[in-house]
Amino acid sequence: MSPGLLWLLGLYALPLLALVPLSLSEPLSRFGLETVFRGRVANYLEVLQAHGPILVRSFGYAGLATALGLVLAYPLAYAIRFRGGRWQPLLIGLVVLPSLSSYLVRAIAWTSLLGDQGPVLALVAALGLTGPLDAVGLLRDGRLLNTATAVILGLTTNLLPFLVLPLVVAMERIDPRLLEAAADLHASPWRCFVQVVWPLSRPGLSAGILLSLIPAAGDVVNPLFLGGPNDRMIANTIENLLLVQLQAPRAAALTLVLMALITLAVLLQLRGRGAQELPLP
Amino acid sequence: MAAPSSPGRPGGGAASGRGRRAFLRRLAWGASGAVLAPSLLQACGQGPKGHAGDGGGELVISTFPLYIDPGQPGAPGSVARFRTDTGISLRYVEDINDVRQFFARIQPQLAAGRPLAQDLVVLTGWMAERLIRLGWLEPLPLAQVPNARNLIPSLRQPSWDPQQRYSLPWQSGIAGIAYNIKATGRELRGIDDLFDPALKGRVSALLEMRDTMALLMLADGKDITRPTWAAAQPSFDRLEQARRDGQIRRFTGNDYQNDLLSGNLAACMGWSGDVAQLALEQPDLRFLVPESGGILWADVMVMPRGARHRREVAEWLNWVYDPIEAARIAAAVQYISPVEGVQQVLAKDPATAALARNPLMFPDAAERQRLHSFGPLSDAEEARWEERFARITEG
Repeated sequence: MSPGLLWLLGLYALPLLALVPLSLSEPLSRFGLETVFRGRVANYLEVLQAHGPILVRSFGYAGLATALGLVLAYPLAYAIRFRGGRWQPLLIGLVVLPSLSSYLVRAIAWTSLLGDQGPVLALVAALGLTGPLDAVGLLRDGRLLNTATAVILGLTTNLLPFLVLPLVVAMERIDPRLLEAAADLHASPWRCFVQVVWPLSRPGLSAGILLSLIPAAGDVVNPLFLGGPNDRMIANTIENLLLVQLQAPRAAALTLVLMALITLAVLLQLRGRGAQELPLP
Repeated sequence: MAAPSSPGRPGGGAASGRGRRAFLRRLAWGASGAVLAPSLLQACGQGPKGHAGDGGGELVISTFPLYIDPGQPGAPGSVARFRTDTGISLRYVEDINDVRQFFARIQPQLAAGRPLAQDLVVLTGWMAERLIRLGWLEPLPLAQVPNARNLIPSLRQPSWDPQQRYSLPWQSGIAGIAYNIKATGRELRGIDDLFDPALKGRVSALLEMRDTMALLMLADGKDITRPTWAAAQPSFDRLEQARRDGQIRRFTGNDYQNDLLSGNLAACMGWSGDVAQLALEQPDLRFLVPESGGILWADVMVMPRGARHRREVAEWLNWVYDPIEAARIAAAVQYISPVEGVQQVLAKDPATAALARNPLMFPDAAERQRLHSFGPLSDAEEARWEERFARITEG
């Protein structure tokens, strides 16, 4: 058995399998720890019925944050790789730098920036964009904090390094002689990008999508601090089921549903593309 | 009663500067939360010296953040003074964010009959009642606490501990409405004002289910001393609709303080001591006991089963029930002190005399008539209530 498979088995498959009996159980008492296995498949149906919309919302937010992150990350990675020159290590360091501070502290800092009296809304108002942004639903009654937009922005900024780094790595692997050859054959810069850089950087794109979509779908901090009660994500629900409602079997069922969906997304992403191609940093 | 995905009843932060203070408050809330930092004390049932349940000669207290007078340069806070006065090594840990989440953290050890690292824990009255019922608390060593006689009459023989064997109140307070008069543009009078469309998106309710539901039920004219599922439905419906419509911006613990200070909220459900504190920084803030009535709550000190340091616990209880020490704490946290004589101590000092006249700290008989306590819920009822409430607060 390869080390990779052992790793997957020990740290991914086994913990999840251990949840399966719990997810089919019932608590013996309201405040006790004991549960009894009853093969209660209804736990799954109940959590899907009660929390299905939040599950959909979570993947929606994660997908939007990843898409927005890609729009930001791709040009950034391109600039670092092809325009960075001797500043390249420094630029990569700057991309990673925010990740060195606490995830929690960053979310809390965003609450100041996105608040009703904060600089972002002041800028939006100064540009006369409050009305239009409200009309398209990016602001809620002129507010930004405690909206879906704030949650997605928070997720995006947190995910950026996970998108930029695989892209830089993938672009690093592009042989500069290919670009020279394209130029020698009179390819325009745009054609050079479309026919050389883009196809060769796609493995980085795939890796980045995986590395950002997975943590984003299970994020608990951004919806808690930056969202409102209409913007909660599925991890908040699981936390509430486990720690507040003391419904461990239902929390386990919902966790397994979430993990199954994430696994499905990963498999779809890997389909048609060998995992060995992914330039994971 | 304290905050659900929230911090405890806060007290006086020493930080200066509104933004910094708000940031530090929120950080204290986040850091103490089970979100990211489950208590290390609970992590493996070990005390500071690594012996299961043995505090290693050290008195360990778990409580809410910012719930005691902080130390200042040249003026040590209560924790430091207690250590000096008694020579007892005290570890005062502000690691309780939400009593329900704290319960989930201590549940595995107590259910398995293993002691916690803590000798004393500050919890809400209703949570103390649950722990008493489960047999997870030790009777307090009240024979060694002569100052316990200073407990104010209104908190004696409480519903959660009728024999007063397992708990002594830490602080008491009122749940009501906090608002910024400049943001609302008018004085508020009752719960209905929180549903005013003019305040849409600038209102919050509490994650503490009992406080939020009790305030709403009182406004609906319901009896909260004997709460029933049927009587609560209109209030649940009203809350759910307000959440859906975006009238309610957030459900909060103590973190509504930051939003009130920073202008994100115009009005909210809140706790009296918080607002008294905040009003020192922001004079436009008001606290209101709604026309329909406010909620009287109490946080209590309890000793988990298997606590090792009974003598030290008795020393602490006796020390904080001394009116002079209690007055120092009360002056910082500005809740209703459970200790008789605090009002007189505060009145004697010109620096604190105004506090002695504060009706939120020392409500008179007429004001007390307007305060109500939420009655008990059976286990099954509580589960039902929690589930519906979570559906509303968690979207």
